[in-house]
Formats: sequence, C-alpha cells, structure tokens
Amino acid sequence: MATIDEPDSPTTQDAIDEMGDGEPAIEARVGWRYTLAQIRKDPTAMTGLFVIAVVGVLAAFATIDSILFEYLAQYQVFAQFGVEKYWIAKTVWMSPVSEPVGTPRLLPPVGFENQFGAGTWAHPLGTDDRGRDILLRIIYGSRIAVTVGLSATVVGFVSGTVVGAVSGYYGDWVDDALMRAAETLFAIPFLVLVLAFIAVFGRSLTFIVFGVGIASIPTFARLIRSRVVSIREEDYIEAARAAGVTDRNIIFRHVIPNSFTPVLVQATLQVGTAILIVAGLSFLGFGVQPPTPSWGQMLAVSRNYMIPNPWFSIWPGMAILITVVGFNIFGDGLRDALDPRFNN
Amino acid sequence: MTDPLLSVENLQTYFFTEDGVVQAVDGISFDVMPGELVGLVGESGAGKSVASTSILRLVEDPGRIVGGRVEFKGETLFEIETDDEGTPVENEDATPVETDESLSQQEMRRRIRGREIAIIFQDPMESLNPVYTVGGQLREFIEINRDLGKSAAKTAAIDMLREVGIPEAPARYSDYPHQFSGGMRQRVLIAMALACEPSLIIADEPTTALDVTVEGQILDLVADLQEKYGTAFVWVTHDMGVVAEICDRVNVMYLGEMVEQADVDDLFYDTKHPYTEALLESIPRPDRTVEELNPIAGVMPEAIDPPRGCRFHTRCPDAREACTRIDPDCRVVEDGYSPHRAACIKYDAFGNVGYDASPPLDNETRSGVDVTLTGDGGHQGGDDDE
Amino acid sequence: MSDAKQSVTGDTTDRTGEQPLLEVDGLTKHFPNDEGFLSWLQFRPDDSDGPVEIGREWVRAVEDVSFKIYEGETLGLVGESGCGKSTLARTILRLVEPTDGSVYFKGNDLAAMDSGTLRQQRRDVQMIFQDPQSSLDPRMKVGKIVEEPMQAHGMYDEEGRAARTHELLEKVGLDPQHYNRYPHAFSGGQRQRINLARALSVNPDFIVCDEPVSALDVSIQAQVLNTMNELQDEFNLTYLFIAHDLSVIRHISDRVAVMYLGQLVELAEKAELFENPQHPYTRALLESIPVPDPRVEGTRGVLEGDVPSPIQPPSGCRFRTRCPELIAPEKYDLTDEEWANIRQFTRSVKRHRFEATGANVIRAEFFGSTLPGGDAGRTVSRAIDLLVEDEWDEATELLNESFTEPSICAREEPSYEVPTEHGGGRHFAACHLHREEEQTH
Repeated sequence: MATIDEPDSPTTQDAIDEMGDGEPAIEARVGWRYTLAQIRKDPTAMTGLFVIAVVGVLAAFATIDSILFEYLAQYQVFAQFGVEKYWIAKTVWMSPVSEPVGTPRLLPPVGFENQFGAGTWAHPLGTDDRGRDILLRIIYGSRIAVTVGLSATVVGFVSGTVVGAVSGYYGDWVDDALMRAAETLFAIPFLVLVLAFIAVFGRSLTFIVFGVGIASIPTFARLIRSRVVSIREEDYIEAARAAGVTDRNIIFRHVIPNSFTPVLVQATLQVGTAILIVAGLSFLGFGVQPPTPSWGQMLAVSRNYMIPNPWFSIWPGMAILITVVGFNIFGDGLRDALDPRFNN
Repeated sequence: MTDPLLSVENLQTYFFTEDGVVQAVDGISFDVMPGELVGLVGESGAGKSVASTSILRLVEDPGRIVGGRVEFKGETLFEIETDDEGTPVENEDATPVETDESLSQQEMRRRIRGREIAIIFQDPMESLNPVYTVGGQLREFIEINRDLGKSAAKTAAIDMLREVGIPEAPARYSDYPHQFSGGMRQRVLIAMALACEPSLIIADEPTTALDVTVEGQILDLVADLQEKYGTAFVWVTHDMGVVAEICDRVNVMYLGEMVEQADVDDLFYDTKHPYTEALLESIPRPDRTVEELNPIAGVMPEAIDPPRGCRFHTRCPDAREACTRIDPDCRVVEDGYSPHRAACIKYDAFGNVGYDASPPLDNETRSGVDVTLTGDGGHQGGDDDE
Repeated sequence: MSDAKQSVTGDTTDRTGEQPLLEVDGLTKHFPNDEGFLSWLQFRPDDSDGPVEIGREWVRAVEDVSFKIYEGETLGLVGESGCGKSTLARTILRLVEPTDGSVYFKGNDLAAMDSGTLRQQRRDVQMIFQDPQSSLDPRMKVGKIVEEPMQAHGMYDEEGRAARTHELLEKVGLDPQHYNRYPHAFSGGQRQRINLARALSVNPDFIVCDEPVSALDVSIQAQVLNTMNELQDEFNLTYLFIAHDLSVIRHISDRVAVMYLGQLVELAEKAELFENPQHPYTRALLESIPVPDPRVEGTRGVLEGDVPSPIQPPSGCRFRTRCPELIAPEKYDLTDEEWANIRQFTRSVKRHRFEATGANVIRAEFFGSTLPGGDAGRTVSRAIDLLVEDEWDEATELLNESFTEPSICAREEPSYEVPTEHGGGRHFAACHLHREEEQTH
C-alpha cells in the first residue's frame, strides 16, 4: 500500500552523524554560549562553579578591604575616621590580624564545648590560639589562595601557551630547543623548583607567584604543543599559508583559538594545584608571613593544638579541600562541555 | 525456486537522539539467495551501513531496531511484534517488543555471528587490535568459533592466510597489524570472515579505502573464494563500478528506503527508478570521455526530517505533485527472469494514484542556487569516535 | 645516464612555442624518515659497519619531476595513495620546501624566492584541498574564511571584501545569505564550494586542486566538477588537478600525468593516454578500475604485491618490482614463454608462495617439462636445489642477482618519447620497452 507519510521533527546534523555512514563530524560545537549551556546541564560542574564563585566573592571582598582601605588610611581625613587595613572586618567584627583583647583563645565552634568554654555565635567557627576569629581568618586567607593561585596560573598559562604554540607551529630546531628546556624544567620536582626560586629571589609573594607560574610552564607548553602539532596538519592551516597569510596571523587567528580548549581545562585544574602549592609553602613557612592570614600558615600553627582542639586544623583544611575540589570538578565539567566526544 | 538464505522484511532502525528521531532505515525488505552476491548501494546517509549492521543486531545506542523481521535459513533472527494492522507493538517504556522466536543476543553471539554470518568492515585497521599479532587474533577467532585446539587453530590460521594470498604466510603470522599494508589487512579480515566457512558474509564498503589496483586484487580474491566456498555476500558500497563488477543482484537505497531492486544488468540497462537513473548519469566513466556530467540536483535531505511522500521528490526530475503525497513501496514493475522492483508511482503497478494528472513539481532540479543547509547552523555532534 | 635523467618532460602539446604558465623542472622532495632530537643517530646492532650510524633515513617522496602547464588547460595528475602526488602539489606551492629543482611560475622561480616575495606571489597561485571537513577553520564564519586571502593581500576595504565575498558565494552556487554561517552547517559538497570561493577570492591564474572531489558522494562530485569547469571558462583558470580516480581525471583533464612512487611514468594528452597507454603501470591502472557497466568485460587485479618503500626505491625503473613486462637481461637468449616462467618463479620464491616439496615438483609447476637452456637454466636449477634445502633467502638472492639486477629496467632510469596516435600532442612514457622506438626530436 502506498501510504502518506507525515514526519515532523527538527533538523540537525547530529542525527546524520550517528547513522554511521553520514559525513564524519567535525569539532564544530563552538562558542561560549554553547559551552555555558553545556555546563548548565551538568550539576557537578555547576557545583564547582558555585564553590569558585563563593570563594571568589569572599576573596574579592577581603582584597578590596585590605588594599583599598590601606590606601585610604594614608590620607588624614580618612585616618581620623579610624580607617586602616582590614577596616570593614574590624568595624563589623574583629581584626583577622591583630590579637583582640579579651577574646578567649581556642574557643570551639558553635555547639561544642571545651576547657575554655562553649562556642558562641560571635565566633561561629571558634577562635585560634591568639583569640582571633577563625572564620574571619579563613575569609581573609582566601585572598592569598585565590590571588596567588590565579596569578601563578596566568603566568604559566600565558608563557606556556606562547612557548607551546611557537614550538609546535615551527617545529624542527625551535621545537627541539624549547621542548628540551621545558623537559629540563619538568624533571625538577615542583616544590623543589619553587623553593629554589624563593631561595634565590626572596620570600616575597611576587616571587612565589612567578615561581609557581614558571614551574607550571612545561605542563601548559607540552599540552598546547601537542594540540598545535595536530592542528598544524589541518588543511585550513595549509590553506591559510597557501593564501599568503602571515605566520603571526595564522598562529593567532587559527592555531591558538583551535588549540585552546584543553589548555583552558588544564588552567582551571592548575588553579587548584597552585592553591595547594601555595598552602604547602605557607605551611612550611615560605608563604606570606604572619600575622597576614593564609590557609597553609593557619594549618601550620594549628598542628600544635590539634588535640584536643581539632577544629582549628579542620577549618583551614576544609577551606583548601573545598576550593581545590571546586576548581577540579569545574575543570572536569568544562572539559566535558568543550570536548564533543563526551557529549551525547 | 529455492528458499532465500537471508530474508529481511520491513526492517526499521531508528536513532533516538536529543534532537529527534532519525529514521536511518525505514522499512526495507530484501532477500539473499544462497551463494548470491547482492549489492546494497547508496550514497552517504542512505542508511546502507545501518541496514547491514541491523541484520546482525549490532546497532549501537542510541540506535534501535523498531520494526521488521530478519529470517536466516528459515530461522527468525529477530522479529518485532506487530498488531493486526501491522503497527509495531510497544511496551510501557515505548520499546518495541520482540517476538518469542527472536534469538537472544547470547544466541546470536554463540551461533550466528562469525559462524553463520560474518562481517567485514571498511577500515581494516579498526577491526584488528593493534597490540596483538595478526596470526594470534585469527587463531583465537578460529579457536573460539570452530572449537579447535590451539595448535590446530594455528595451522588453520596459517592456511587461511595463505588462502587469501598473504605472501610468506608462516612468517607474517606473527606480524602486527601495522606491519601490513591496507590491502593485506583487508585480506586478513577476509580470512577471518571465511575462517568458519559462514554461509553469508556482510561486507561493508570493504574496498573503499583501498587503491584501485589493490581493490582489483581484493575483488579478484572475493570472486575466487566465492566460487570455491559458495558463500553468499551482501556487498555494501557506494561505487557503481564495483557493483557492476561483482554483484548478481542490486538493492538501491535512498534516505533509509529501498528504491530499486533488480538484476545487475537490468539495473544498468533497464533502469526504472529516477534516482538510480540520475545516479548513473552523474558518474564520470573511466572507459569513455563524458563531456558534461549530469549531477543530481541538491543534497540528500536528512533522515531526521525526510520529505513527505516519496523521499526523492525534492531532487527528482520526474517529480509531480502527487509524489509529495504518496510514499511508494518497492513493488514489482516488470516481471522477468527475476522480478524488477521500483518505488516510483509513475509505473502502472501503483494503479492510478493521480501521477499522470498532477502537475510537475517545482523542486531543486529547477533552481540554480544550492540553498539547502545540512542543519540549523547551530551545532554538530562528534559521536563518531567509537 | 645523464641523458636519460631528462625524465618525463611535460612538453607534450604543440604549444611548444608558447611560454608555459608553470614549469616544474627536476623537482625533488626528500623527507627525513624520523624527526626528533637525536634522529640523526641510528642504532643498528646487527649492522656490519658498526652498531651506531650517523645520518638520517630519507623518504624519497618526489624524485626529479618535470612538466609544464599552459595557460587555460587542466593537467590531471593521477596516482595511487603514497605515490607522492600530494607532496608534489605542496612542493610546487612551496608549502613544503623542495629539496631540489625549480618551479617557474610566469618565468619566476617560486622555489628560489625569499619568503616576502613568495607571499606576494601566492595571490596568483591558489590551492583547493581534499578534505572538506578540515580545510575550513571550524571556528570561523564562512564570510571571514573567504575574505581571509583578500585581507592577507590587502585587497579592497572591508566593505569591498564583503561585497566580493557575497558575489563569489553566488558564483560557486551557494546562497550569499549564508555569509555568517559556520562551516559545519554545510554539507561536504557545499564546503568544497566554499573552498573554491576562497581560492577564487584573490583572482588567481592557477589553482592546484588536491583531490577536491574524492571525499564527496558521486552525485555531489558531479555538481562540483561542473562548477569547476564553468569557473575555469569564466575566469580563464589553469588547473593542476590531482586525483586517484581515473574517471574523474578523464572527465576534467586536457592532459594527464601518471605518477608512481615519486616519479612521473607517463604524460600525454587525455585521449592519447586513455586510448593508447604506453606504460605498463598506466595500463594496469586502467585495467583495474571497475567500470560502472556490467556488460564491460571484467576488470581484475592485474598488479601483484604492494608499492615498495620510498625510503629505498628500486633502482632504475621504480615500477620494475611489480611490472608484468620486465625486460629479460640481454645476456640470456630466452623465448618469451621461458622468460615469463622465470619471472613467475622468481616472484613466487621471493614471496614464499609455495612449499618446497621436491625439485621435480617445483620444476614441473613453474617450467613444465623443460628448463630453459644455457646459463639461465643452470641458475634456475641451482635455485631449485637451494629451495629444496630450505634456503629461501639464498635462492631469492641468486635469482635476483641473475635475472632482476642485470635487466635494463634495474640499471637505467627510463625516459622516452613515443609516437602519438590520438591528437597532436607529444607522448612521454618512462618505460624501457620503448627504447627502440623513441622519436628523434
């Protein structure tokens, strides 16, 4: 029987590709909007994004507070109002830096009790060995974690991308030279490298940032290089060369945009790693110096009071854990969103 | 007349994707007689590969066989239950129900795949595991499927390699797939397919990736082996040259449907369906100079949203208004030594459905610019990695 | 030898007085086999010259290729995968640096230009690629893709470029409205049209087309081929059209060059090449291709074996290892049949294709009742004795030394001009079979 057929459904290329003998798909799911839409569908990635957002807002708040008000405090007018570093914190609550008068030390969090008394809402997470509020110190500690984590990653990301792209695009002896240098860097353990850097240049935060950043260059460079080497073989690169487009334009217009995605994912993961490294350095006493709060340094101090006051260690530890996991699961989600192979 | 070896009836395989249902194979029927070499021809997206994997029930998610019946040597490989009107019955999950006679996946694996029906894929490199030796893989296959001991299987494997024309077979036995050339790898796959002396081999574009001189060698080999073992073949290809070369009968597919079935000579010299005709018109010839090619206008529409009525009407030079209304099945339009079927309502076999009376259609054959995009311009998937 | 070195020159038309648009002269490209830091160092534990060797292995992808292309014509270049035709195209355009040789475009040597001049020159020489998927940047809109070459050469202002792009899209048969779409929204055939538009944007004289239709379905292939033909007429384009499909080559070319293992083996006008092929490889190609016509007598695999490695190509004629018409060494006095038997025997021994059960069996299988006489016969029976002793390698070596190496095919590189039967062009065939009939010119 001849029948009348009434199909009515939307059209896309996906379907054809899944039929197996359609044209092979290309990596064409492009654009930020598409990536965001993918992430929005992924609850794990959204959790990561949420954690990052919270930590980011807290860090921003603490940074503004510490930088802006220190700057304002220089001026007479503001000094009269008692404006100084950590002004908001001090006005609202108490200073994360100086030792407050009359606050009980090593007070437990709300709902717990120890030999120093019961936890109060004035110090929801308890106080440290000098009677400073732990919550406040964790909030202000996020400042170091996030700024150092991000800027170190940016240093590694930018230099690594350029090194990797140049190395991969030109190949030959340029590639050999740059990659052998990167491998040499890679052969030295991360922490040792950063410590050596600090030992040579000093303990300033800037050098920590550069130390961690430089130590991560090989990771980025190798990643982007391997992408570029395969992108370089793509016909559209050759087409651009055949058309007479300059090398610089080819690298910036075609090579880097098309090799970018895995590096972006790596960068997200790298922020977590950098935070961990910075915490480790602080723990060893190489980070920012007391009384400026940082998570690693809080952990280091809390060691001596762990028993019977475990929360003193638990809170900064949790802060590090949650932030690093937040960056990692967001990175994973980003990879899934950017890599069409994971999409169904 | 003998009973068919393989009989496919009204096979439907759909892919259930995020964006809708792709009707990759939509109700095709064909038979394969014992020892016969049957071509399954079509362009990319015609659904020929999906049809061939459906026979062995190797369709992967999100694809699913949603209707039809496949019978092999009188045994039902699978059948989707239908109600009195022929509509497939679905259970509460909207999954089509298989009848009780259908074989389980386990039985398919144990009795049918490899032993009775073997399959050869287009890319031999993907079908061979790169970390095992070629001989080892062949031996293991023979061991499992022919219940032979290890050393007997090895001897059989070397014999098979020699049979398919691998030089220095004993030495090449312990080589790895990457040490073989493309043509040699395809020979290994043919050896593997033949190892259990199956009655049917499904060859999915087995020579497409090969050079012409190598393709010639493989076609030679297949012809010789077919004569020797009497194996039937379903040869999936897009190359009309290969079809003319080796096929006995040909099934032409377009957009998930069967449009023409005929003996190879009739198909080329007494072409019935406008699609087949247009396809033959559009190929350049190696044996004579064609000054002007006659391409088929436009591009194949997508199986997710196929045109109503006859699926070819958007590109058909003979299309009339009636073609947009009526979806013709593939029926006998000329009786001969073997029946010639075509799915086109311009033939009398379809009765008077208003073809002659309706006006010609203003379709892509009459417009100059190729305006059809493949999608909505939004995005495209990459699900071809496996 | 230096005369034979001329190789197959492409001067086959009667347009000899005319200046060719493109002249390729002795173009050669060798790639290092391994790339990497220490690739010049090789360890060969079994080597008699010592375990460590310094120096790279080279893949001789293109070897001494010369031809000419005249304005407005299409030269088809056909060959199997790995024969070096794509490398040749890229070397002509200097997308890879040539090892040796020259490419004269309108009299200027592209191979010797500095990079700045070359970049300018690229405006006149464009390329179309095989893979419609990878030849367009997936992150760029179609309009920008077509405009990029114009931008690189500073042609027009932004508006002018956009206007020209719209016009070009229409010319190649696309809807100009699709200016802002990404490539993935287009089918393979349409993407090849975008490629065409991009190549045409800078108004070139010469386009190298590297298998532009082989990734397309036949019906779409025809559409694109027709468009290319129309554009050629309209813009007076010259094509170097590379393909592995002889049918496509036959349709589009004016002259055809056949390539095997890095060298041209035959070059003639289309009709001449297809109707009167003079090189055994060309004949094999023509016989192998399946004809879409069931009444045409069967095409079968006429060539045995695989293409040899371009790292150590055979001496003399590169095709000799697979050639069904290898010439007998002059020192033997053999009948055609005897020589055919010896060749068959040699090949079977080399490929270890049979079991050596006994001398008589082997003799009967390959030579019937009698062995060839003279030296040839003595060598064959020595080889058979070796086989019986299971010394396959020695037997192969012996046969090779006695029959293959002394052949002219193994000693000299062939290059001959042969008489033309169809049309007025000249016909070159790199095969020693024609050593006696060469035209004086």
